[in-house]
Order: sequence, then structure tokens, then C-alpha cells
Amino acid sequence: MTSYGGYQRTGYGAQGGDEGGGFMSGSQQGSQGQSKRSTIDEYLRPVTIKQIHDAKAGYNESEITIDGFPVSTVTLVGQVRSVQPQTTNITYKIDDGTGGTIDVKKWVDLEKSESGAETPFSLDTWVRVLGRLSSFNGKIHVGAHHVRVIDDYNEVSYHLLESTYVHVCISRGLPGGPWPQKEGAAAGGHGGGDSDSMFIDSGNGYSGDAAAANARVASCSRQAKSLYQFMQSDPRSIEGINVADVMAGSGMGKRDVLAAADELLGNGIVYTTVDDETWAILET
Amino acid sequence: METSTPRVTCAYLNSYVGRNVMVVGKVAQIRGEDAIIDADGNISCKLNRDAHLVPGNGVQVIGKVNPDLSVKVLSSLDLGTGVDYNLANTVVEITHQHKNLFTNE
Repeated sequence: MTSYGGYQRTGYGAQGGDEGGGFMSGSQQGSQGQSKRSTIDEYLRPVTIKQIHDAKAGYNESEITIDGFPVSTVTLVGQVRSVQPQTTNITYKIDDGTGGTIDVKKWVDLEKSESGAETPFSLDTWVRVLGRLSSFNGKIHVGAHHVRVIDDYNEVSYHLLESTYVHVCISRGLPGGPWPQKEGAAAGGHGGGDSDSMFIDSGNGYSGDAAAANARVASCSRQAKSLYQFMQSDPRSIEGINVADVMAGSGMGKRDVLAAADELLGNGIVYTTVDDETWAILET
Repeated sequence: METSTPRVTCAYLNSYVGRNVMVVGKVAQIRGEDAIIDADGNISCKLNRDAHLVPGNGVQVIGKVNPDLSVKVLSSLDLGTGVDYNLANTVVEITHQHKNLFTNE
């Protein structure tokens, strides 16, 4: 499945009883199983040149990791140490003082260059580079999307601090939650939970298999998620759990429980059993 | 791999004698071939021919630390007036706390 597959599925609103399932298989499994491909493309990592030199390229030279985390698009700062104009690109050697230089290739837009739009940057100026890492013959270079001059030196300080911040968050985790999901580690542990839903889990009491639970109710309201998690944690809900029991057990108000139950019913996640106010989870 | 030029302030100079370092500070004084740069403390610098330092402006200097803790300037870059020196000094501290990101010693 391509990374677009999920989004296409979500576009079909009316798939009857399968609607809930179809929605999840797109948005949830997409964020887990294919995280290697899809999320790489989606985030921009601030790095120092030392980090790029330390980066590990995969066997097929397609995947590059920093701190054990796949990286594709990066932003970096540095001083221009050499400029080599070529017919199709300009290769800059960029140095930020952290260990050697890195080659940054800025492809020349042939249509633009006729009007002389691309002027190479002069030596020793600080520049901000935004581009993709690529590995060729074991040597990593940056294919620049964008290079511009840094006018305010504080941007250099800022970038170095931001690079450090991201490194620390990835290697130690965020103070409040498990943002970084190293390959296999966190992602394998929790079914289909994305990091957002995990924050919600820690807010209420039912953290047991809450991550897996959230996969089914990802598109639902917070109340519906709470109800679903409560029903999962309560063994009585196999035969059906009454509105009074839910209120007593979860502390939710009656109106909230009924609204949440309505929503879950509508999504085909629960069904009514002995009466209209008693529900059981529809197992998949 | 080429060696890094660690970012330092005045206080770190004695750990880097004989090595190339990068200093960001404010030009406090220029006297002929010598200049004093304030980077969390005064550093005396031996300027090269190309150096164009402006008193009161920020400057980035790359140079070699002499045994007397002066810096022989190899390259200098005027940074203008908008430099946040507290921030620059903080960056130096951070780069020494996370050497794996900033130096290859």
C-alpha cells in the first residue's frame, strides 16, 4: 500500500458497517507499519554537520539514520568554504565548526538561470540550508531545496540549540511523554496507537490496552473514547453493560454516556443487548 | 574527518592551547595588530592582515590558542550589532555539554 492509500480510503464516508474499520486501517496502520517511509518524508530535522558525518547509511544507501532515527529532510547552518559552479548544480562546501565540511548541492533551475536568478553565495557567509540527505558511494551529501543567507547571527545560535534540543528529545524522550518511537521499540509495544492518543490515555484511568483500543475509536470524540476504554476494562461488558453501571464505574454523567454510546453505535463499534441502554463491544 | 573548531568563551581557552577554536564576542578594543574581544571575559587576539574588526560590533573569530591564552586569528567575520552575547555564551556551554554533536575530539 502506498502512503496515499490510507487517505483515499478515508475519503469514502459510507462503507456501511465497515466504515470504522476502513478509516482506521488507513490512518492508524499507516502511522505504525509504514512509519519508516511516510513519516520520514514528513518531518524536518535540524542537525549539525558533525551529526551528518556520524549518520549511518543503510545497506541499500536509501535510509540514513541519526540517533537510530531515520532522517531524510534536514536543515542546517554553516559558512560557505568553497563554491564549485557546475552545469547542472552548484556544490558548496559548508562548515559549521562541528567537524569538517559537508557537500551541499543546489541544483540549478535552467529556466530561471537564463534570467540570472541564481547567484552563488560568497565565501565565509553563514547560510541556512534546507534539503534532503542522500548517500552516494558511502559519502553523504545534502541535495538542497533551498539555501539562503543568514543575516542575523543569532539564527546560528538558535539552530545549534534547536539541534541539541531535538537530539535530546529523541535520545531521552520528551519530559511529558513518549514522543520518540525508535524503530521496533515503542511502535511494536502498542498496537496502533499514535502518540496523540497516548497522551489522552495518560489523562484518564484506563491505560491498559488503551493504545490498541484507540485504534478503533481514533475518529471518535473524547467521551466516546472514554466510554470505549471503560467498557474494554470492565468484564461485564461482554454480556452488555448498563448505563447505570457505566456512570457508577467511570464517573461520567448520564447525558455524556448516552451521547458517547450513540456515537459508538453509529460507528458500529458497540451494539445494544437487553435494552436500548445496555451495550456490548462488537468484537472484530 | 577534518577536525572541528570548538566554540569557546574566555574560560575554556586554557583547555585548548595549541588548537583551533571559534570565538563569538564583542570587539572591546583595537590597538594596531592586537584586539580585545569580550566573550564572557576578555580575550586578546593577534589579528591577521585581512581582519576588519569594528569596535562595538560582534565578531566571530577562528584562531589558534597560544600558550599565553591569546588567540592568533586565522579568520574573522563581522557580525554587526544585533548579536545576543548571552545566547552565544549559552551556546558555548551547551556545545560543551553535548560534545557528541559539536566536536570530534
